[in-house]
Amino acid sequence: MEVHRILVTGGTGFLGSAIVNALVKQEHYDITVLDIKPPSTNTPSRPNVKYVQANVLNLSDTQKIFKQAKPTIVIHTVAVSPIGSDRYSQRRRASVFGLNVNGTRNMLDAAKECGVRAFVYTSSCAVVTDDVDRDYPNMDESTPTGNATLVYGQSKAAAEKLVLQANTPHFLTCALRPSIIFGLGDTQTLPTIHACISKHETPYILGSGLNLFDFVYVTNVADAHLLAVSNLLTTRTAAGEAFFVSNGQPVPFRDFCVAIWAEFGHVPPWEARIPRAVAWALGGVAEWVTWLTGSQATLSRGSVKDACGVRYANLEKARRVLGYEPTVGLAEGVKIACQHYKRQIEQLS
Amino acid sequence: MPKFSDYLYYAIHIQELRSIIQKIWHNPVHERDQTKECETLKRCFFFLDKTSRSFSAVIQELHPELLVPICLFYLILRGLDTIEDDMTIPLSKKEPLLRNFQNILEKDGWTFTENGPNEKDRQLLVEFNVVVEEFKKIKPAYRAIIKDITKKMGDGMADYANNAEHNINGVNSVKDYELYCHYVAGLVGEGLTRLFVEGGLANPALLQRPELMESMGQFLQQVNIIRDIKEDLDDKRRFWPKEVWSKYVSKFEDLFKPENQEIALNCSSEMILIALNRADECLYYLAGIKDQSVFNFCAIPQAMAISTLEVCFRNPDVFKKNVKISKGKACELMVKSTQNLQMVCGIFRDHARRIHKRNNPKDPNFLKISIACGKIEQFIESIFPSQKAGKAGITAKKAVSPEQEAKEKAEAEEAKWDMIYMGLAVLVTLLVISGFMVITLFPHLITLILTNNP
Repeated sequence: MEVHRILVTGGTGFLGSAIVNALVKQEHYDITVLDIKPPSTNTPSRPNVKYVQANVLNLSDTQKIFKQAKPTIVIHTVAVSPIGSDRYSQRRRASVFGLNVNGTRNMLDAAKECGVRAFVYTSSCAVVTDDVDRDYPNMDESTPTGNATLVYGQSKAAAEKLVLQANTPHFLTCALRPSIIFGLGDTQTLPTIHACISKHETPYILGSGLNLFDFVYVTNVADAHLLAVSNLLTTRTAAGEAFFVSNGQPVPFRDFCVAIWAEFGHVPPWEARIPRAVAWALGGVAEWVTWLTGSQATLSRGSVKDACGVRYANLEKARRVLGYEPTVGLAEGVKIACQHYKRQIEQLS
Repeated sequence: MPKFSDYLYYAIHIQELRSIIQKIWHNPVHERDQTKECETLKRCFFFLDKTSRSFSAVIQELHPELLVPICLFYLILRGLDTIEDDMTIPLSKKEPLLRNFQNILEKDGWTFTENGPNEKDRQLLVEFNVVVEEFKKIKPAYRAIIKDITKKMGDGMADYANNAEHNINGVNSVKDYELYCHYVAGLVGEGLTRLFVEGGLANPALLQRPELMESMGQFLQQVNIIRDIKEDLDDKRRFWPKEVWSKYVSKFEDLFKPENQEIALNCSSEMILIALNRADECLYYLAGIKDQSVFNFCAIPQAMAISTLEVCFRNPDVFKKNVKISKGKACELMVKSTQNLQMVCGIFRDHARRIHKRNNPKDPNFLKISIACGKIEQFIESIFPSQKAGKAGITAKKAVSPEQEAKEKAEAEEAKWDMIYMGLAVLVTLLVISGFMVITLFPHLITLILTNNP
C-alpha cells in the first residue's frame, strides 16, 4: 500500500491526538504533528509519528515545517473556543478570529505552496448553532451558516468559508462539523458537567429539559476525518463540501448530563424546572452580580440560551458521501469516558 | 352493567368519553356489502368475528379489493395457530400438518376435528371447508402470496415445536427472540405488505425495504410479549429472552418477587427499549400506504402498541397482572390514528415524551431509552419539519422607533388579554354543556359503550 505523508495540526490536543491514533492504526501514513504544545508525557513513541512544535500564526516557522515534512495531506484541527462568560461576549474577538481564521489562512497558504493535495478542516456545528436565539432541529448542510451570534461560531464559519473556497481540482478541501465532542482526554465537556455535582447545580432543569442536542464520541470524529482524507484521495466527492458529524443519537441536553452524573453515582436529590424566561432573567441578574463582584458564574443569559436550544443534525450527507457510521454508540461512549475520568480523578487525589 | 368506578373514570377523562362517542358514530371508509355475499363467505366473516378481538372490525372496513383475501389470510393463520397451540395433538401428527398447511388450503372439503375440547377456536377447523371454498375464488396472485407465507410460518412453527430447548427454557438470546417474533408476526407483515402492493394500495418501494415491514410485525409482537409476561408465566411460557433477564436476576421467576421490583422494572425497561427502537421504522412504513382503509388497518394496532408500551414502562403492575389501556383511551387512539400520518406521528411523539418523562437515571438503560425517544422525535422532524422558516434563514431585524415599539407592545398586551377572556368564556361554556351532558346522558352512554366492543 502507498504511504502518504500527512501533517496534523493540533495533533497533541483532545481531538488531534485521537486523529493521530486512528492514523497510526491504518499503518499507511507517515505522520507529522504540528502543535504549539509537546505531546503529553504518556504518549507512546511511534516510529511513523514525528512531533514538531510551532504556532500556526507564525508563518515562517510553519512554512519551514511544511517544507521539511512535504505532506500530501493536511488535517487542520487547531482552534480556540472561548469558555465561560467569554463565550458570550465579544471581548476575545480579536484573539479568537486571529487563531481560528488567520491560523487557517496560514495553513491553507503553506499547504498550497508545498503541493498538498488534500486538506481536511475541522470546522464545527457552531457555524450554524452559535445562533443561540434560534432552534435547529434536524439541521443539514443546506441550513444556512452566517447567522451565528457568538464569536466562536462566527470565526469557525469564516474559516470554513476560506477552506471551502480554496478547493480546486489540484488542491482538494473539505470541512467537518462535529457536534459537542466528548471522550478520553476530554478537558471540557465531561469535566464541566461533572463539576456540577460538587457545585450542587444538578437539581435545576433549565427550560423544558426536552430540547435535543447532538453529541459525538471523539474516536467517531477521528474516523470521519480519515474517511474524508481517503475520499479526497479517491472519489473526491467530498471536495468543496462541509459535513455534519455527530453520533446521530440526539438526546435532551439534560439527559446527557444526568447520564454522566449517574456514572459517578450521583442522582439529583430533587428537581426544579426553571422556565426558559425565568432562567434567562436569573441569568441577567447573575451577570450583574458577577460584574459587581468580579467573580465567574455558570449562569448567564447566554448559557441559558445555550442550554435551552435545540441543536441536532441529520447525518445523511456524511453517511452517503463519506460512508460515515459512528462506531462507538453514545451510551457506550459515556460509560468509557466516565470510567476513564473517574480513574484520573482518583489518581489525582 | 358498568361499574361505579367506570362512571368516575369517564367523569374525569371527558376527552376519552368524547372519543368513545366519536368511535361509535364514525363512518367507515368502506363497508361490507352483505347482500352480495354467499353463505360460505358469510360463515368466514362469522369466524373472523369469533376469533379476532381487535382485527375483525378494521378488516371489515378494508378496501373491497383486499377485504376477502385479508379475511381469509387471517383465518388461515388462525387455523395454523390453533393446531400449533394444541398440546393434545402429538408432535408426530402436528408436524406434517404444520409443514403442509399451504397445500391443505387447496383440498376441497378439508376439515379437522382432532383439536382438544378446550381449544377456543376449534370450531374454525371443524368447518375449515368454508375457508377452503372461498380461498379458491380469490385472485391467483393473492393465493400465491398467502400460500407462501403459510408455508414459511408452518415451517417455523414446526421447527419450534421440535425444539425441546425452547419449550423447556423459553427464548435464549435476543436474536432468538427476534427470530420467534419474525415467525409469528414479521411474516404476517410481509404477507400483508405483498397483498397491499399487489392490490395497488401501497407503494411498491415497501418491498425494497423489507426491514420496515419486519419492524411493523416485530413492534406489535414484542409489545404483546412485554405486556403478557405474567399471563405467559401462568401458562408456563417464557418469551423474554434469557440474554436480557439474566442480567438482572438469576432465575426468571425472581422477576415477580416483590423485593425485586426495582430490578424487574429495569429489566422491563430493556425489553421496552428493544421494541422502542423499531418505532421509527413503523412510522416510515406507514408513509408508504396509499389507501386510507389500509392505512387505518395498519395504523390502529401500531398506535395501540405504542400506548401499551407507554403504560407498561416502569409499571410494576406488569409483573402482577395484564396491564391494559382504558377503553376510552383505545377509542381516542382509534379516532386519531385513522386520520393521517401526521396524527399518528403525533401519537408516537406524545407517548415517547411520556416514556421519557418517567425515565429513571438509576435505570441502567436510562440513556439508551432517551436515545430511542430522541430517534422517534428526529424521525418525525425529518418528515414533518417543525419550522420551515428557521431553515430558510436570515430574517433581518426591523428597525423600529421607540414609539412604534411601545405601541406594538401595548397591542400585544391587549391581544393577550383578549385571548385570556375568550379562552375563559369558551371554557365556561364547555363546562356547562359537558356538565349537562354528563347528568342526562351518562348512564345510557356507559351502557352503550360497554356493550359495544370496539
